[in-house]
Amino acid sequence: MNSYRRKWNWISAGILLLSAVWIGLTAAFAPATTGGDTPFPRVGFSAPDFDLSGLDGSTVKLSNYRGRVVFLNFWASWCPPCRAEMPAIQKLSSVYPPEQVAIFSINATNQDNLEDVQAFIVEYGLTFPVLLDIDGSVNRKYQIQALPSSFFIDAKGEIRKVVIGGPLTEAMMRAEIAQLVEELP
Amino acid sequence: MLPVIQIGPLVLQTPFLILIVGVWLGLTTSERYARHQAYDANHLSDLVLVGLVAGLLGARLSYAALQPAAFSGNLLSILSPTPTMLDPLGGLVVGILAAVIYAQRKQLPLWQTLDALTPGLAVFFIALGVANLASGEAFGATTNLPWGINLWGETRHPAQIYEILGATASAVVVYRLQLAKHWPAGVFFLGWTASTALMRVFLETFRGGSLMWPGGLRPAQIGAWLILAVVLIILGKRWQAVPAPTAPDTATIDPQVGP
Repeated sequence: MNSYRRKWNWISAGILLLSAVWIGLTAAFAPATTGGDTPFPRVGFSAPDFDLSGLDGSTVKLSNYRGRVVFLNFWASWCPPCRAEMPAIQKLSSVYPPEQVAIFSINATNQDNLEDVQAFIVEYGLTFPVLLDIDGSVNRKYQIQALPSSFFIDAKGEIRKVVIGGPLTEAMMRAEIAQLVEELP
Repeated sequence: MLPVIQIGPLVLQTPFLILIVGVWLGLTTSERYARHQAYDANHLSDLVLVGLVAGLLGARLSYAALQPAAFSGNLLSILSPTPTMLDPLGGLVVGILAAVIYAQRKQLPLWQTLDALTPGLAVFFIALGVANLASGEAFGATTNLPWGINLWGETRHPAQIYEILGATASAVVVYRLQLAKHWPAGVFFLGWTASTALMRVFLETFRGGSLMWPGGLRPAQIGAWLILAVVLIILGKRWQAVPAPTAPDTATIDPQVGP
């Protein structure tokens, strides 16, 4: 029995030693994380930049909003969950000052029509910028597979959470944004 | 990658569906093993159910507790069916605690219970790898190796496939251990845990989005190494209970019947 135990102790020590060496080698030679440098619409990556106009003709360039928390919501007027979550987004827009949090909703205008979009904005009394993705290029850039889709982006421009589908609750949006606001200098 | 399946306005989260199937297959496998071991399969199902329900509640309450201001004006949001409002760590802690309390109340034997849960855990971990493959989570680091896959704009290690293969290898370890009948209780569970922890240490290297500490150390690897160390020590102690193989003892032959 003692020889059994000795053998097991040696095997265990060998496994642990080799694993420790592997961990050390990983730390030394495999520092490969995305680090938020590569633009891609995924958590941990840098949010792809875009330049879009709103209904009033003003343009928004995402990269100009570095230093603020950004919430992006992709929607269409015919999409029921988009309609359901829009009042919560409107409420959210009054919670944080615009110097801290920027809220943009991006309409998939290539799958919608401008009259419906305008009626929607009036119906829900939206006061935050509604951007028009007329040719669908930003939807493609963000690889939108379902509407609504929402992106929570930190002050460094890194995507921290993606939610596909909805409707999102106000509490959920506030909880996610509050975490990112806490990180602001 | 197939993170969602859209049916009209309904968006189904594929990873959640895969995890639910994983839980069901895992529980079925564990129940079958439990019956084979003359262990009460009903207790096992109840234990898993208690753990899952408590885990879900714990995950939601923990999420709300971490951001109380977000829920202060809208307490009913805690009941919202949104699957994203969950804190996995809080859920895990509460789920395990609830399962432990249930097991103590029912006086379930610790090692036999863990052994009975092991085949299910092995199956569930394979499902976890498949769920990660569907969602694109736990993606690989960039590589030039010929089997690299194009993902998130770069050629990367197929880390989710490594995870599935690793979990399958651990399941094979479990299956092999189960074939040998003479192990003391607990070795089945400890063997799978050691094998899974070893896989984690090895495979974490190829992940592209690991959490990292200063100096490049990865908490997942350190945690897995510590679990491995503890499990190997306990395994050594459990194995002491294995009766040593003995040669036929002539002194025990009954002289009345002997030659």
